[in-house]
Amino acid sequence: MTKDFWHAEEYMIFIEFLKTYDSVLRDPRGGKLQNVVILFNTYSDQPPLTLEQFELYLDGFNSISDNAIEFKKDVWGQRIHFVDTDKLELVKARVSGVATKWTVKKVELEDNLSNLIEFLDTEDNSYEEIINLINQPTAKIVLSKTRSKLMVPQPFFEVCTDPQHCKVLSRVCLSRTEISSNNPKQIFPSIDECYISIDNNRHLFSKGIYGCSKSKIHHLPIINTHTELNLGDCSYLDTCHKMKSCRYLHYFTLSPSITPIDRAEELQKVRKALYEQEFTLGYCFSEFCKEILPPQWINCDVRKLPFKVLGKFSAIVSDPAWDIHMSLPYGTCSDAELMELPMHELQDEGIMLLWVTGRSIEIGRKALRKWGYTIKDEVIWIKLNQLKRTIVTGRTGHWLNHSKEHLLVGLKGNPSWINNMIDINTIVSNTRETSRKPDEVYDMVERIVGVHARKLEIFGRDHNIRPGWMTIGNQVTGTSIVEEEVLYKYHEINNIN
Amino acid sequence: MFKKIENNFANHYVETQELPSGFVTNSSDLIKGYPKLQTLKELKAKQTEKYAVKALGCRVKTRDLVQTVNRWTEEFKLQFDVIMIGCMANNQRVLKFLKELPLLKLCSKPGFLFIWTTVDEIESLTTILNQNYGKKFRRSEELVFLPVNKNSIFYPQQDYSRLFENQQWNCWMCITGTVRRSNDQHLIHCNIDTDLQFENESLVSYNAVPNSVYKIAENFSNFNRRLHIIPYELGKTPIKLRHGWVILSPDVLLNNFNPLDYETQLQSKSLINYKNNQVQYLVGQTKEIEDLRPKSPGK
Ligand SMILES: [Zn+2]
Ligand SMILES: [Zn+2]
Repeated sequence: MTKDFWHAEEYMIFIEFLKTYDSVLRDPRGGKLQNVVILFNTYSDQPPLTLEQFELYLDGFNSISDNAIEFKKDVWGQRIHFVDTDKLELVKARVSGVATKWTVKKVELEDNLSNLIEFLDTEDNSYEEIINLINQPTAKIVLSKTRSKLMVPQPFFEVCTDPQHCKVLSRVCLSRTEISSNNPKQIFPSIDECYISIDNNRHLFSKGIYGCSKSKIHHLPIINTHTELNLGDCSYLDTCHKMKSCRYLHYFTLSPSITPIDRAEELQKVRKALYEQEFTLGYCFSEFCKEILPPQWINCDVRKLPFKVLGKFSAIVSDPAWDIHMSLPYGTCSDAELMELPMHELQDEGIMLLWVTGRSIEIGRKALRKWGYTIKDEVIWIKLNQLKRTIVTGRTGHWLNHSKEHLLVGLKGNPSWINNMIDINTIVSNTRETSRKPDEVYDMVERIVGVHARKLEIFGRDHNIRPGWMTIGNQVTGTSIVEEEVLYKYHEINNIN
Repeated sequence: MFKKIENNFANHYVETQELPSGFVTNSSDLIKGYPKLQTLKELKAKQTEKYAVKALGCRVKTRDLVQTVNRWTEEFKLQFDVIMIGCMANNQRVLKFLKELPLLKLCSKPGFLFIWTTVDEIESLTTILNQNYGKKFRRSEELVFLPVNKNSIFYPQQDYSRLFENQQWNCWMCITGTVRRSNDQHLIHCNIDTDLQFENESLVSYNAVPNSVYKIAENFSNFNRRLHIIPYELGKTPIKLRHGWVILSPDVLLNNFNPLDYETQLQSKSLINYKNNQVQYLVGQTKEIEDLRPKSPGK
């Protein structure tokens, strides 16, 4: 019976052969099997192999070496086309039980180590210098910061503080005759209408003002017949309910406009460059080429929706209506019910951001701990009015006035895919409708987990719905689900087929 | 079609590293545009100054600090109405001291505690207040102080294992005993200050805590006995004294505190109020202040 099986050790001679005769692949032998087998038989001191046996021998070798040898077939028959020498080394190492030597890396490591020892040995290096060295950000942080910097989605405009500019632009944009003739119902013109007025009247003011109006933000004083300038600014500004009769001064904010398309094209270029350079550390590997999921939302009573329908999320944002006053509008959760929500089902590891107000900070922290999170940070939202001033009056808190709100940040598990230390833990943003939170949070979360990570907002409203996010709560209108699996499970629990 | 753009300071920070707080237009003068509030604060400062005991320091080594306080409470039955603990410094290990200090004896009732802390310590601090002090000090406000410049000596050291860069110093205001917001106007004045303070450009020299936070304590509480404990050496310039406060620290500039002299000074300086066998040392208030201060609705 001819031999048709070889043990791993019996291939060692073949590996040696290939290393010695690496010319066997080249002309004139050209890797042709009938030539190689002759050479191999003379090299090894074992019983010579026939061509068929040699083919079986190679077959066996490929099965233990993860196809180290690649074949090609042409008119001359089977040829060895390519030999992967790294794989040869791995087989050799495995058979002999010796660890593979990655010489290059080892040398580097030794160098760094000796550098560090040398550094620590030098007497000039004080303790502070070493601490300083340790306190440097990691390369990962530096890289992800740079990447986020490239991807900032919108332009930024300075505020012009030249009162002359604001006065002139106010006269041009807010002359009441124009407002009443163009738009009898609307109190203020739209931004587009303002820029039409500015273009039409540009002969009336200097080029400087014209240019400035298109590049900076201006707060235009609204001078009505009942306005008394010596009274100063209205403390409610643009949220004043009695603007038509209020004698204090109000302002109209004229911000420069851009076409969103320009910015989108610019960003597309950045994404393409990042894609080509595979700059995806901490994000999904297809971060820059995949389409972002459309917005999804489910109108539901959060207490009754089985969370298993939703799947798992990398980031969760929630703004519960904490029942500090015990009088609840219909459908809101009590604190006890909130604590009982099976939040542990929504995340294996990831971040949860929870909005709290004054007296609910403590219960919010308790809830996060109960749901399995460690409190990693506390972001504050500095609430500003139209003129970017903090809110300092109006008995907004029980003992002191409140100029800020807190966003608790919990971390579950130890996810390696978190891109941390990109943003700062203070958000500075205008107040809007009652209890509406700043949108800055969404970009901040996306910088941490990436735009394709699954993200959930609990107790969201219609204005919270956005691409890449799932929004649930009893205040969203209707239900829209895009992900197949969620849709399937949602139908399953609702008995729709 | 044009889209109105609202400036996004978070994105702007990522792009330029310019701190969002730099765009707050009243950060150097929070009450700009509120002349009545301005006057009220000036009047309050005047009263505080008028009733203040002289600036006192008690220089004690860290390891003798708890013992010193124990002696104050045991031998002299010394009590304070406002006690601030810690300051803006990393690794100040205030938590360890909180466990050891006889705060329930040292703090009068009603009394107010201001504890400096950082986000990493919030959980441990909650545990200590609940377990060591049986929830007797109720966390009532969380003050935040923001250095506005990354080169500031107050700017916090960054810990790169965090999720966000840190710009905040936190100071908890805790209350023990009962004070009523609407009826105890001789004891407390609510809603004069806010829970957010910014580093001020005019604050040039180094001090362990910003004056604005001392002022919050003085404006809120009308009690006259104030103590500030900074348990560790900061290794910087010495801690400065403040009128109306006793500062207990290994680092304090002067060592001029004596419990008996302090008692005498308090007696002569304060407005004395007797309530249920208890003496309250207060800062007298004026009618003008009463007219100007923010009040609860319906009052
Ligand atoms: Zn301008
Ligand atoms: Zn108004």
